[in-house]
Amino acid sequence: MRIHSIKDTKHIDAFNIPSIFNNRLALYKEWHDFVFYDRKNRIFGLLNFGIHGNPYDIKRGYGSVLSFFVDPRGRILTESKLIPLGKLQISAYNPDFLGEDVAVTYLKDNSFRIRCNIDKISFNLSFPVIQPPVSSKEIGFEIMRVHKTINTGMIRAAKEMDKFWDKWVELPRLLSLGEITLDGTVFPINTRTGYHDHEGGRFDWGTLWGWDTGVILCDSSKAKEPESVRFLFYRYGPSDELSYGGITVEKKDGKKKFFGSENTQITRTGRFSGEQRTIPGVIRLLYPDYYPYIPERIVFSAVDGPDKLNIIFTPRAVCSVIPSSINGKMETELNEMFCSAKLSGSVGGKTYNKTIPCWFESTRPRGSVRNFDAEA
Amino acid sequence: MTLKLKKFLTDFVEIMKEDFPQQLGGIVKDAQGITCLQTLDSERAVIQIRKGEIMITRGARKSEINARVVLSRNCLFKIIEGKLTLAEAFNTKEFDVIGDPLILLRCYDMWIRIISIARTSPRFSFLVYKLR
Repeated sequence: MRIHSIKDTKHIDAFNIPSIFNNRLALYKEWHDFVFYDRKNRIFGLLNFGIHGNPYDIKRGYGSVLSFFVDPRGRILTESKLIPLGKLQISAYNPDFLGEDVAVTYLKDNSFRIRCNIDKISFNLSFPVIQPPVSSKEIGFEIMRVHKTINTGMIRAAKEMDKFWDKWVELPRLLSLGEITLDGTVFPINTRTGYHDHEGGRFDWGTLWGWDTGVILCDSSKAKEPESVRFLFYRYGPSDELSYGGITVEKKDGKKKFFGSENTQITRTGRFSGEQRTIPGVIRLLYPDYYPYIPERIVFSAVDGPDKLNIIFTPRAVCSVIPSSINGKMETELNEMFCSAKLSGSVGGKTYNKTIPCWFESTRPRGSVRNFDAEA
Repeated sequence: MTLKLKKFLTDFVEIMKEDFPQQLGGIVKDAQGITCLQTLDSERAVIQIRKGEIMITRGARKSEINARVVLSRNCLFKIIEGKLTLAEAFNTKEFDVIGDPLILLRCYDMWIRIISIARTSPRFSFLVYKLR
């Protein structure tokens, strides 16, 4: 069931700028995420374009650009930049994000054009939209349709999300075309594994909740891979047990299977010791001994009737983004992980056994995982 | 145009006074008596904390200066951007601090508190990048 068509993207993916009369304006934040992995050139990319703080207060609001690339040798290249509000243009009528040295433009042919140049990284990419947008409402309807019953976890997660988020939209599939320049080396990009989401809300980065979300970057042209695999587990309390979410597997025939929290077991083991970066860089000065806890392996094991799914995520490169609460007293870590995901099991009669690249975002209070995560 | 060191420090203190007066008050109280000669490339400015005030001046009497920080722009931005830790920066010959260890520790504490506050406001970030 689809509510939207591709041509709705311009409207659905526009910025949800709050009115000047809205409350909690200082806590406003909204961003575009673009993710892709070019299998031929072995390049992973995560691009984030955001606006933060009161959008009517030129002293306290600002825009930001963040890029996180993993090159064919597994090296991480990141750059980030803040943009003064006076030099940033966003709109409630389209997804455009135009600032200093960066331009995200939504074109009439239903593609995003992104040009950016920050220090040692530049990119000129086109992201044609090839699947319609999915809104949080649609995700909710889909879960309800599958479950037919409501449990407490669902209600608490939905209530918590509703409190903080004004927008939660994803574009499940985009093409990614163009080129990127990393530290002087130009790489062509041509992949069908693009993904985009757009989130916005009014909340502080100082609460105990968080989420684990991500996308297995399936290539729909490969017979042995599902059409798509996405997951979201939303924490409404300090413990991983106080969360609700699930994994959605879409088969080539368009049929979807949702494995909810009640059917999914998550385990985290070991400690990641590979390439890791922290943004902003000043975190290294403030906390020289701080390294976000990243498991060596995260395993999702789901069983629902005859359907079984096992995903072993192995992080390959991690970029931790550490935003601060507005009063500077608490911080959140958004651990952006480029992983390999070993997918095995059987869903709707189709057997899968394949390792596929993946983007995994784990959001937690900074430095708190050991305290709050019973399994870690 | 690149911002000059003295103008940068003066503007920095102004933003602190405007946006974080309480926190600035606490920092100034704990940093009483520090007179730091700050060198950035070939520029110099003095950060003087006395009588509950923080003042940025061109110079001070030699006998009043109890901490000296020598830093290059290149090294400053490498530290801010996380490309160098403080320990690594000391090995670059582009960063040096001279003074009584207890005064230097109080200086360090003052800067860490200021940086912690500064990272919650984009105004500081925009100002810092005008130094580049």
